[in-house]
Amino acid sequence: MDAPTTTSPQPRREPTNFREFLGAIGRPFVEVGGTVRGIFSVFGLTLYYLVRGRTRWKAIFEQLHEVGNRSVVFIAVTLGFLGAILIYLAGFQALQITGDLQMLGGLFLQLLLREFAPTIAAMMIATRVATGMAAQIGSMVVTEQVDALRMSAAQPIDYLVVPRFIATTIMMIVLTIFAVLVAYSAGALTAYLSFGLNVRTFVDMSFIGWFDVLLGLSKALAYGMAIPIVACHAGLNVFGGSEGVGRATTAAVVNASLAVVILDFIISGIGYVILSLVS
Amino acid sequence: MGTIEFHDIYKSFGNNHVLRGVDLSVDPGEVFFIIGQSGAGKSVLVKHLIGLLRPDGGRIYLDGQDVTDLKEKEFYPVRKRCAMVFQNSTLFDSMTLLENVILPIRKHMDVTMEEAREMASEKLKLVGMLRYADRFPADFGDGMRKKVAIARALTLDPEFVIFDEPTTGIDPISAAMVDKLIRHLSDNVGVTSIVISHDLRSIFGIADRIAMLYQGKLRLDGTQEDFKNTDDPIVQQFIQGLPEGPMEV
Repeated sequence: MDAPTTTSPQPRREPTNFREFLGAIGRPFVEVGGTVRGIFSVFGLTLYYLVRGRTRWKAIFEQLHEVGNRSVVFIAVTLGFLGAILIYLAGFQALQITGDLQMLGGLFLQLLLREFAPTIAAMMIATRVATGMAAQIGSMVVTEQVDALRMSAAQPIDYLVVPRFIATTIMMIVLTIFAVLVAYSAGALTAYLSFGLNVRTFVDMSFIGWFDVLLGLSKALAYGMAIPIVACHAGLNVFGGSEGVGRATTAAVVNASLAVVILDFIISGIGYVILSLVS
Repeated sequence: MGTIEFHDIYKSFGNNHVLRGVDLSVDPGEVFFIIGQSGAGKSVLVKHLIGLLRPDGGRIYLDGQDVTDLKEKEFYPVRKRCAMVFQNSTLFDSMTLLENVILPIRKHMDVTMEEAREMASEKLKLVGMLRYADRFPADFGDGMRKKVAIARALTLDPEFVIFDEPTTGIDPISAAMVDKLIRHLSDNVGVTSIVISHDLRSIFGIADRIAMLYQGKLRLDGTQEDFKNTDDPIVQQFIQGLPEGPMEV
């Protein structure tokens, strides 16, 4: 064999205070850049295996149950309370300013569809589901099950990420619709009990148009795609044993929440540009 | 020239410099043990051979072919030739023992389900686990799971097998059976085995050659006799299992 072309690292130069200072400034940017690159890489591969891979119905149904059924109570409680609190505060202020509660239900429904239901539900899913996904996949990495999959010529993205991606995307839309119903019902009940507002007056669809429904569903779809990708990326990049799994779950919930907020900003911005163009 | 060669391998995880220029060569058909403290980089080193980790520096050759920069899919043929029995057995809990063994056959080979089932059953029989084929890994202890992991690794009749602590956590009789199996594969089938182990009974029972890693570098590479007769105090402390000595813990 010819002499090997080694690529051994060069001897390290002693770090100076200035170099350490520059390193401290640059390191977070490099790390964030690496994470973003990694997340897009997982997303690209997920789309590839979504089209080219085998559909694993059993795994998808398990994940549908895990993401959807097991989140129903959680979403019902959080969105129910949120709907009640928002209506109480908004109604109280409306009474002080105008004394008129006629538009309370209609405007609340619009706000729910455009913003609160998809985004708050996604935040809840990010905390409940993303941590679970990161911990589950992270444990598989630590116990070398992911390596064993790769040794069997099975792609971890295909086996582990795609079923979670499909299930969360579907369930995010379903849970958003459920969140609207729960929050609106809680709001209607609060308006009736607190202000004596008739439910038939509260339920007002006159403010709702195709834009509101489309905007809410677009957000739910985007969040449903982003949360499993970010969570699975965190899980797949675990190193350092159980401590690493802990770091991954934290990274999953932080990054998934950030992804939800950033997507909310982008989709809302695009939505309002479209709205201003068509109206 | 060895059939497996590691040249000047460097690997770091963050600030943890695990491998700092390791050179190793494994000859065809031998039972080659890699020993060293926990965290010395033994598993990290061998995972480079099958592309589960990528080195920061250095080259890896398998039968003269440079496999260092192969892409994930280009590693499939390498992984078919070179199987690995992982430290934690790594059976998939959602699959039966038989399904665990069938998975690599179905993925790597163009065979029918019936053929794959027959091949997998044969390997389970080899390790004495055929009667439990339809049960799940959670029903068994470490020793029996490890036997199934060995069966899974042998399904594709590999030329090279990496055993990562194959006798850790299993009873002495099962450990002796595993040692016998490794020796049998080498002597009768011509399989080249790389065994990562702390088990001195195994090391000085079946090793053709031993390499010791210490602080990310190769400390000693030699036969059982070389290890027994060396004056190196670090090697002596390790193989005698002495709590006091020059070795940094």
